[in-house]
Amino acid sequence: MIRSQQGLFGKFGGRFVPEILLPTLLELEETFMTLREDGAFWQEYLTLTQQFSGRPTPLTPCHRLSGQIGGARIWLKREDLNHSGAHKINNVLGQGLLVQRMGKKRVIAETGAGQHGLATAIMAARLGLRATIYMGADDIERQYSNVFWMRQLGADVVPVSTGARTLKEAMDEALRDWAANSENTHYVLGTACGPAPFPELVTYFQSVIGQELRAQARAAFGHDPDAIVACVGGGSNAMGVFAPYIDCTEVKLIGVEAGGHSLEAGEHSVRLKAGIAHAGIAQGFKTLFLQNADGQLGHTHSIAAGLDYVGVSPIIAHLSQSGRLTADSATDEEVLAAFRRLLQTEGIIPALESSHALAGGFRHAARMNPDQNLVINLSGRGDKDIFNVARAFPQPEWTAFLRRELERQPESTSPAGESSHEAV
Amino acid sequence: MKPSEAPLQVMSHAVIGFPSLEENLGAINGLVAAGVNLIELQVPFTDPVADGPTLVNACYQGLANGGSVRATLALAREVSARHPQTTFILMSYLNPLYQYGLETLFRDAADAGIKGLIIPDWLVEQVEPCLPLLDELELAPILMVAPNIGDVRLKRICQASRRLLYVVARLGVTGHQTLWNQEFDQYLRRIRQHCTLPLAVGFGVRNAEDLRALNGKVEVAAVCSRYIEWQACGGGDYAASRIRELMVDADLISPIR
Repeated sequence: MIRSQQGLFGKFGGRFVPEILLPTLLELEETFMTLREDGAFWQEYLTLTQQFSGRPTPLTPCHRLSGQIGGARIWLKREDLNHSGAHKINNVLGQGLLVQRMGKKRVIAETGAGQHGLATAIMAARLGLRATIYMGADDIERQYSNVFWMRQLGADVVPVSTGARTLKEAMDEALRDWAANSENTHYVLGTACGPAPFPELVTYFQSVIGQELRAQARAAFGHDPDAIVACVGGGSNAMGVFAPYIDCTEVKLIGVEAGGHSLEAGEHSVRLKAGIAHAGIAQGFKTLFLQNADGQLGHTHSIAAGLDYVGVSPIIAHLSQSGRLTADSATDEEVLAAFRRLLQTEGIIPALESSHALAGGFRHAARMNPDQNLVINLSGRGDKDIFNVARAFPQPEWTAFLRRELERQPESTSPAGESSHEAV
Repeated sequence: MKPSEAPLQVMSHAVIGFPSLEENLGAINGLVAAGVNLIELQVPFTDPVADGPTLVNACYQGLANGGSVRATLALAREVSARHPQTTFILMSYLNPLYQYGLETLFRDAADAGIKGLIIPDWLVEQVEPCLPLLDELELAPILMVAPNIGDVRLKRICQASRRLLYVVARLGVTGHQTLWNQEFDQYLRRIRQHCTLPLAVGFGVRNAEDLRALNGKVEVAAVCSRYIEWQACGGGDYAASRIRELMVDADLISPIR
């Protein structure tokens, strides 16, 4: 199990927040530290994920793909088959149990691709809580189908229009809301980042992925995988699948970041490659941040909104610097190629975030032997990316359909899409 | 400790690079002429999580106009030489200072005439090891307390803070109204039990009524977001005149210049 040293992972992590947030963070830490020592709590969590989110998710062999690539046998850990379509729901269901124990009535969340926002809206609906989701205005445009469903579920989706209008700004805004409302509100942080105890807490809930994988891999091929590959935005799906393997040094752990257009500043979200990001303190914690010499955080780019983030989990930063984790990256172009390849070879529609892990995984598999096993954590499914993919691989019929559909939509009195809770 | 008999002092604000580096100097001169004796010089930051929209926007504009730690220190050197009676306080989030190098920053800030530091994401645990050097440099860490603080922590922060204690008036971020009710008075009494420092109240001090309500209760009131709003809409001279008007209306200074 991942354990911090008083909130620190090597030199990363910690708690650097306005004093106003400290009491609520300490309350959360105490609740979490107590519950994680209680085996019955983990069992309660597992039961919830089984009854509500379809766990355990399968481990799927990719026969055609492995044959084509000609290296290691490729397996997919199918987090895309979770309710809500991504691994994000694991953490959210776990935090929902914490919210119930702390007796809070409102939840807030930041979201990039919208998967964490959607999962939070689902949990809030199920538990009868009010939910406010902060999302960068540009990310809203990129992932509108998730925004649509969050609002249908009754969540208030607040567009954040400051700065680069993406995940970083959404997190700033969630922290501001929490500073004002922490007495009745829990901040459901969506990734293994932020002030302690969040990196540890999110990893704890997500580690259900890796725990299942251990048993499934042994049943399927008799031993641990030779390599595990995951995409790394904030780092929650990667930590989830890596966590139980940290001390199994014969298992290679590969994290794939968003290479974007290029390694020019502002064109990517690569933080783990040496010399690009630097240790810094922001958003409540210390990690590798993309920033300038004056400590101002930089702009990022990725085709996948969920990886478009300026920092990275302090646990991942530590594992990368200590050599336990191998960092790789995939460009937008490589990601689209990998997306299409999985879709057409195995009949699985991956999220663009997870397609980074595919791109990196395919590359590594090709260099391995056919008797070796490589597992790719397929963190989410690609339904939400229908508009982005339609732009990357245009279909004239689709565009024509959108035009017809627009004409069929009822007249709306509110401005296009925004603040329309009553939209049908 | 009882509040001092002297009238309430007003602390105000500059965001470096907002509306421009050139205009910062004139705006500060205007504040000093208006009777403001305490001025925060804020290093703009990309992710100011304790600030509301007014200061967030000022930060973005300040950054676009070249606001930085170095620009802040250069301005501090100039204004502290020109206005030796005014206390200049450096306000920044931790990361720009961390990248500059904390110890170097302390020395350079003290050398530039800065008397205090307000760093919202710098917790007391991290401040304490720096106290010997800060005391030697006579550079005061001005720590913040919020209404939800427990007594043990309150005591610890009061012991580490120097020159002033920054009392966050309510939960939330800068730039919104605060109510000065009985609950607030009780909060002040709780703080005074542990604190012999003068108290500076910030977050939601926006008009003359606020100043009147605070006069006699605390020593300093921070009028920051409101001042930046005036600066944004009418420039430094206009904002300084509004601050002066506020102080006159609250009977803190006499209307005759």
